[in-house]
Amino acid sequence: MGRPCVSGSSEIDIDYEKKIFKTASVEIKEGDVITIDGSSGRIILGSVPTVKPEISGDFSKLMSWADTIRKLKVRTNAETPLDTKVARDFGAEGIGLCRTEHMFFDEERIISVREMILSKTKEDRLKALKKLLPHQKKDFIDIFKIMHELPVTVRLLDPPLHEFLPKSEKEISEVAEVVGLSVKEVKSRIDELHEQNPMLGHRGCRLAISFPEIYEMQCEAIFKALSELKKNNQKFAFPEIMIPLVSTQAEIKIMKDLVINTARKVQKENKVKIKFLVGTMIELPRAAIKAKDISKHAEFFSFGTNDLTQTTFGISRDDSGKFLHDYIENKIFSIDPFISIDEGVEDLIKIAVTEGKKQNKKIKLGICGEHGGDPKSIYFCSKIGLNYVSCSPYRVPIARLAAAQAEINK
Amino acid sequence: MNKLILNFKSKNTKKIKNPKNLLGGKGANLSEMGRMGLPVPPGFTISTKVCDLFYQNKKRLNSSLINQIKKELKIIEKDVKKKFGDLKNPLLLSVRSGARVSMPGMMDTILNLGLNDKTVKALANKTSNGRFAKDSYRRFIQMYGNVVLGVESYHFEELIENYKLTKGVLLDTDLDEDDWDGLIKDFKNIVKEKTKKEFPQDVYKQLFGAISAVFLSWESNRAKIYRKLNQIPSEWGTAVNVQSMVFGNMGNDCATGVVFTRNPSDGSNDIYGEYLINAQGEDVVAGTRTPQYITKKAKREAKVEALSMEESMPKVYLELHKILKKLEVHYKDMQDVEFTVENEKLWILQTRSGKRTAKSAVKIAVDMVKEKLISKKQAILRIDPNSLDTLLHPTLDEKSSLEIIANGLPASPGAASGKVVFTSEEAERLNNMMQDVILVRVETSPEDIQGMHAAKGILTARGGNDKSCSCCCKRNGKTMCFWFE
Repeated sequence: MGRPCVSGSSEIDIDYEKKIFKTASVEIKEGDVITIDGSSGRIILGSVPTVKPEISGDFSKLMSWADTIRKLKVRTNAETPLDTKVARDFGAEGIGLCRTEHMFFDEERIISVREMILSKTKEDRLKALKKLLPHQKKDFIDIFKIMHELPVTVRLLDPPLHEFLPKSEKEISEVAEVVGLSVKEVKSRIDELHEQNPMLGHRGCRLAISFPEIYEMQCEAIFKALSELKKNNQKFAFPEIMIPLVSTQAEIKIMKDLVINTARKVQKENKVKIKFLVGTMIELPRAAIKAKDISKHAEFFSFGTNDLTQTTFGISRDDSGKFLHDYIENKIFSIDPFISIDEGVEDLIKIAVTEGKKQNKKIKLGICGEHGGDPKSIYFCSKIGLNYVSCSPYRVPIARLAAAQAEINK
Repeated sequence: MNKLILNFKSKNTKKIKNPKNLLGGKGANLSEMGRMGLPVPPGFTISTKVCDLFYQNKKRLNSSLINQIKKELKIIEKDVKKKFGDLKNPLLLSVRSGARVSMPGMMDTILNLGLNDKTVKALANKTSNGRFAKDSYRRFIQMYGNVVLGVESYHFEELIENYKLTKGVLLDTDLDEDDWDGLIKDFKNIVKEKTKKEFPQDVYKQLFGAISAVFLSWESNRAKIYRKLNQIPSEWGTAVNVQSMVFGNMGNDCATGVVFTRNPSDGSNDIYGEYLINAQGEDVVAGTRTPQYITKKAKREAKVEALSMEESMPKVYLELHKILKKLEVHYKDMQDVEFTVENEKLWILQTRSGKRTAKSAVKIAVDMVKEKLISKKQAILRIDPNSLDTLLHPTLDEKSSLEIIANGLPASPGAASGKVVFTSEEAERLNNMMQDVILVRVETSPEDIQGMHAAKGILTARGGNDKSCSCCCKRNGKTMCFWFE
């Protein structure tokens, strides 16, 4: 990995004892944030925003050679118009993971999201969801336009609801006012929603089993966005609706029916016909093992290898920093399993691929964990015959090259 | 047992399937160059298998190996018409490490081996150059003392600095034969003081000590960390190359240098490198004298006065240029070549695939396809996908207001923000907590490589004069280059 480096700066005077360095104008202490620009040699106070580089000349030539060789498609993980644009410019062939929860965190919308969560009755909840719908629709219109003619996998809401709840006193009283509850009531509702282990709690499709209206609203927004684009004769992306955290056949069956019914309703209202797929994340060991049953109702699998690695090992990634280093030091792990796919996780993926194909020969297979941008993992994906990898926008060219190398070395 | 040690000219090498596995990168390339008919000083490679045997045999060379090494030495003696330890025409040797993949600066090298109080006089007589002989001897004591006997380098450097101060001169080249004579005594005394033993006068004892030290350096902390970062298995071991010395420091018709067959920082198809007249290998990297450019073009672009090799040694330059092109066509890759000129005679000491920036790697691969040297598929396989990261690095948004607090040399591209830390340990600690840090050091040393790896960016107050490197580290006065690709 390249490290930006500025060297030979005689203008700085370092004092190791006091843990400071001085320049003509300022004194910088340990822990202060600075920015260095290894391209010009500048040292700048604070954190500075950055802009993306261009692919041109020899680089674009090499990439074009790689593109003619590779069979694996390269998609991106993106949920903002900016990231989507960057990724498409870097050669992404669709979105493999468009998270919808980030759209909920927007300042203007978070109040409505909180209103929805704190609602006591379904009626109140539907009212709050109705306010969110136009926002979600607009987000989807932007992304579907940028990724026109390419597939976009939209993952329905995944994180546990309490992540959206207010934390500070000020926020709590603000929400209380909007929802028409007392501060005390809001606080007790927050306590109710608290989970011991949110990663394994009320999240993913489990939320939609309890509150189907949330996914119904999201699907309505997706299909309304598509209908609008189609009616305006604009080019748009091919939608793939993805259900998170599925572990049983029954879950995916209920969810698929929900998506299809909502899609039908919107298409009928708008008198349009829209093609789409419904599929699932494979991010729990049970889902991988029972892939044959699940694939009866899923038209695609997308391996969420971040969570699949966490749940296979029973390791929470956020807590792994404390011991991962010791595991590597003691040669228990040769490499961080969150960087390159572990072989145990690989075995689960292999089972899911084989079993899924047994049931549904045409099943579309992809990976959307961060491993999708790791050359070693890409080699594995190519070998077992996935259709695509999906990675962060800035890793798209890396994945394109790695996919070509995997094909050559096959 | 007969393939444990191989002469550079041995025909057996051709039959070996993966010569790099057995002979190490350096050894395999030396024997390949020997077979191409290039001017390589005679020598032999002690294979990586012996490294295994050495560690199995309680870190000692067994007697059968010692006999084989002595036998190979006889062949060199015949070849160069000199004798090891001879009092008239002594053979001097270099002993260098060579793993399967190059690990620049990580393992040990010993030059001028075979000098002692007596052979140094023979060398002086033979070359009619007393200063050269004494200078070579003190270098040998210094290197051997440091690498084999474990006497810290700075002890020697301090002695030289103090001597120069007393004499009132600035450069090593201002010291004469008598000065070095005095320093040799001081050097031997410091060795005795630190090791409680006399500096070894038996040339065979010197040789076996040096070979053992190179094997031992495979398990040094530096090498271990480098292996870990670059995922090099420890079972590979290192080979040892024993080669007759050629001298770049015998006068002004001598020189030594390192040269890339193409520019390693931008990939342009111009040879690029540095050389020093009247110097030995380590002077080029030691920074005690400023090396000069190889080509006129590079000299012009750097706006310096001192003559390029193209101007000062035009004939040798042309020969070097021809060999470089030949090597590139043979290996079908950009090469990093070490050479020495001894009394106007060019010797090639080493060739290896040259390290390069991501940008130049892409340019070189695409250019070589155009030149029909390699196929498109080969070009694709040449590029480490992860290295593209540097080309995809975002640059600073110039529209935002920048409070520039200082400037330095642009040593490795890309921009990074993070918390300032002053130690590698702190950089690692915060990195483990998923925090971005900028490592700030006066200068970086190989001990810092873990911290450099943990940091998002590196800022140093010193170093960085070698533009062909991503990052330069100074250790014992040596500039070492680390490539974070």
